[in-house]
Amino acid sequence: MTQIETTVHYDNGYEDEYMLQEEEWDRDMLLDPAWEQQQRKTFTAWCNSHLRKAGTQIENIEEDFRNGLKLMLLLEVISGERLPKPDRGKMRFHKIANVNKALDFITSKGVKLVSIGAEEIVDGNVKMTLGMIWTIILRFAIQDISVEETSAKEGLLLWCQRKTAPYRNVNVQNFHVSWKDGLAFCALIHRHRPDLLDFSKLNKDDPLGNLNLAFDIAEKHLDIPKMLDAEDIINTPKPDERAIMTYVSCFYHAFAGAEQAETAANRICKVLGVNQENEKLMEEYERLASELLEWIRRTTPWLENRTPEKTMAEMQRKLEDFRDYRRQHKPPKVQEKCQLEINFNTLQTKLRISNRPAFMPSEGKMVSDITSAWQGLEQAEKGFEEWLLTEIRRLERLDHLAEKFRQKATNHENWASGKELILIQKDYETATLTEVRALLRKHEAFESDLAAHQDRVEQIAAIAQELNELDYHDIASVNLRCQSICDLWDKLGTLTQKRREALERAEKLLETIDQLFLEFAKRSAPFNNWMEGAMEDLQDMFIVHTIEEVQSLIAAHEQFKATMPEADAERQAILGIHNEVQKISQSYGIKANIINPYSTITTEELLNKWEKVKKLVPQRDGSLQEEMARQHAHERLRRQFAAQANLIGPWIQARMEEIGRCSLEIGGTLEDQMTQLKQMEHVIIAYKPNIDKLEGDHQLIQESLVFDNKHTNYTMEHIRVGWELLLTTIARTINEIETQILTRDAKGISQQQMNEFRSSFNHFDRKKNGAMETDDFRACLISMGYDLGEVEFARIMMLVDPNATGIVSFQSFIDFMTRETADTDTADQVVASFRILAADKPYILVDELRRELPPEQAEYCIMRMPPYKGPGAPPGALDYTAFSTALYGESDL
Amino acid sequence: MSGNYSVTLLGPAPWGFRLQGGKDFNMPLTISRLSDGGKAAKGGVAVGDTVLSIDGVSTEGMNHLEAQNKIKNCTGNLKPPSWSGPLHSVLLE
Repeated sequence: MTQIETTVHYDNGYEDEYMLQEEEWDRDMLLDPAWEQQQRKTFTAWCNSHLRKAGTQIENIEEDFRNGLKLMLLLEVISGERLPKPDRGKMRFHKIANVNKALDFITSKGVKLVSIGAEEIVDGNVKMTLGMIWTIILRFAIQDISVEETSAKEGLLLWCQRKTAPYRNVNVQNFHVSWKDGLAFCALIHRHRPDLLDFSKLNKDDPLGNLNLAFDIAEKHLDIPKMLDAEDIINTPKPDERAIMTYVSCFYHAFAGAEQAETAANRICKVLGVNQENEKLMEEYERLASELLEWIRRTTPWLENRTPEKTMAEMQRKLEDFRDYRRQHKPPKVQEKCQLEINFNTLQTKLRISNRPAFMPSEGKMVSDITSAWQGLEQAEKGFEEWLLTEIRRLERLDHLAEKFRQKATNHENWASGKELILIQKDYETATLTEVRALLRKHEAFESDLAAHQDRVEQIAAIAQELNELDYHDIASVNLRCQSICDLWDKLGTLTQKRREALERAEKLLETIDQLFLEFAKRSAPFNNWMEGAMEDLQDMFIVHTIEEVQSLIAAHEQFKATMPEADAERQAILGIHNEVQKISQSYGIKANIINPYSTITTEELLNKWEKVKKLVPQRDGSLQEEMARQHAHERLRRQFAAQANLIGPWIQARMEEIGRCSLEIGGTLEDQMTQLKQMEHVIIAYKPNIDKLEGDHQLIQESLVFDNKHTNYTMEHIRVGWELLLTTIARTINEIETQILTRDAKGISQQQMNEFRSSFNHFDRKKNGAMETDDFRACLISMGYDLGEVEFARIMMLVDPNATGIVSFQSFIDFMTRETADTDTADQVVASFRILAADKPYILVDELRRELPPEQAEYCIMRMPPYKGPGAPPGALDYTAFSTALYGESDL
Repeated sequence: MSGNYSVTLLGPAPWGFRLQGGKDFNMPLTISRLSDGGKAAKGGVAVGDTVLSIDGVSTEGMNHLEAQNKIKNCTGNLKPPSWSGPLHSVLLE
């Protein structure tokens, strides 16, 4: 028998090796019937193991598949897929069709069926049928075995080796002889189900027992029908590989399936676990999402709440709450969300990895929902924070404004308190002009202070306005206060204005009064002075000496009287001023003490003085008239005197001249002159009563205190002096003549000589006043032949003019002229006279003097004579020499 | 002659000058004559000189007799015993 070469395409490509292995056993063609037998048994059992699930069996493998129905069924069972509906005919072509359907199916599974046709199968070709079944078994039971990346036969082999590896006495190298002792089967069983047999009890030398044991257990407990015959295997030197493979594949499927089931179970468990896990995660997600959303849902209204608080403290608490929220409450939620996201991602990843569909969160809990909710939250947060801060700022501003308002209002109220009272004072009613002015200044200052406060009040109102706009919580009290401040402000303004007006009015009045006072002062002072002057003038003591003077005084007085009406008018005017002042102060109710600061003159004073003046005027009139009378009287006296004096004066003058003439005349004797003179003397003396009368008049005049008299140039003194001079002159002249006579007689000068002397004298008496001046005398001497040096002339002058009068009288002249001839040393004469009396002694005694001289002269001498200091003089001796020389003013010492 | 001078004339008298004048004559005390070779002339006194003081005492207000006496009595109060006669010194200025 040729080996049926079936090329089965596998993905693993081991077919060549597999074919080689197959060719190794071409020698076993001898065993062909056994091998066929084995295969038949095994394959039938295998088909039945599957067909029983469909509720059918096969008895005969080459027969029962001939119509293809059971073949199709088998394929359906083992593949789990539906084949096309079999043809229900008995005809051959129906069978072929059915078998073809089966074969097509097999082909569709990727098996290249070479030299297997439907007809052979329908015809019941055993080898074909077995080959086909082997193809099916290979394909559906072995092909898909994959063990550690080894598949199909190798894979199955590897699986066997792996599973039996722990069993030392088992060594699976192939699918034929390795299985002969049955231990491999037992090992396989024991490996997977140690509860089913006790491998340690098995013996290698009991292959039959082992095999049967294995087959029994497999049938009983593993639901693997017996497919091999134990004796066949023992008796065959090389059991049929395919049969072994088929049966072993059942074991594989049983255990691997179990394993797979285990794995599957594990997988399922794992998957389920994953599922469960996923589900848990999903639940978790859902829960967290719900919670988070719930939390967001709860929190958002809180964040959206825009109820303002009244105070900053409350707002700040809110801010604090928010801060707490941000710092404590939210972070865990952020973490939750993050966790949620992570969970979600993890879940999705897990799902994706485990080929599950993506997780679709329930309605409203989707990622987008969470995100949007979260965004909403954060929006709300931001909004909330912004709102909080805005509110806080607003409240802060409000607080600040409210405080500012309070402060400014308080300041203003403090300033304003008391101002009202000050403004309604009526202090100006009793103030003086200066005081009112000062009050005005103060008021001005107040007004500017008020103006300065204007904008402060406006500020306060502005702040109140802003507080209103910002909706301050205690706005009512603010408005109230603001209103009261504004009301008071208006009031202050009005009062200020009123006070200003009142002060200005008072000032005006007081100024007017002041002006009047000034006017009063300006006019009353000079008027007062005028009156005082007038009074003085009117009482003025006058001394007048002439009628003209009195007249001028009277005239002046008349002039003065003429000014009286004017003066009275002035007085009235001044009084009028005073009355004006009184009227003003009365009518305007000025209560201050109005006194004139410019003047101390009172109206009473003025009136008094005026009265006095008025009284004095007629008084003066009287005085002046009196005086006038007096003056007239005086004038009369003057005239009287003058008349008299004017007679007497010239008369005296005439007499003087007469005398002068007489004395100067040269003709006639001295006696004649004397007689003339004596006659004149008589005349003069007879005239004396006139002088006396004049004296009388003069006395009157003097008594009347009249000191001047323009009617005459002759004063009484003049007349007196003149008279006396006349008297003296006449006496002197007479005396002169007498002396001349004496001298003439004494010196024996003849008349002729006298006349010569006279003529010389007259000649040199240049001035013809009866005396020569020094130069005259000198000229005279020179003319007489005297050669005079200065010294001699001086000596002569001293003799002639001992008194240094500067003139030489006729008498002196004569004396001089006559002296020069004489040689008299008069002092010696006297000394000689005394010597005689002293009886030739150089001294004289007191009683001698008393005896010889008249008592008076004696005493004179006694008193005057110095004591004699010569030798031999008794005490009381007097030096008459010294005395005598002293008498003449010449002493020789 | 101008200028005052003082002269001391030793006594005794006479000194050889004539004194004239005095308050009683209303004339100043003057020298009206000098004896030639007299003590006064030798002493440098000249005619016309006015006597201003005698022995240090001003002549103002002196009458003739007073002056005369003063001159005569001018003594220096020194009388040394050896001298036989009175010493008169006259101070004329």
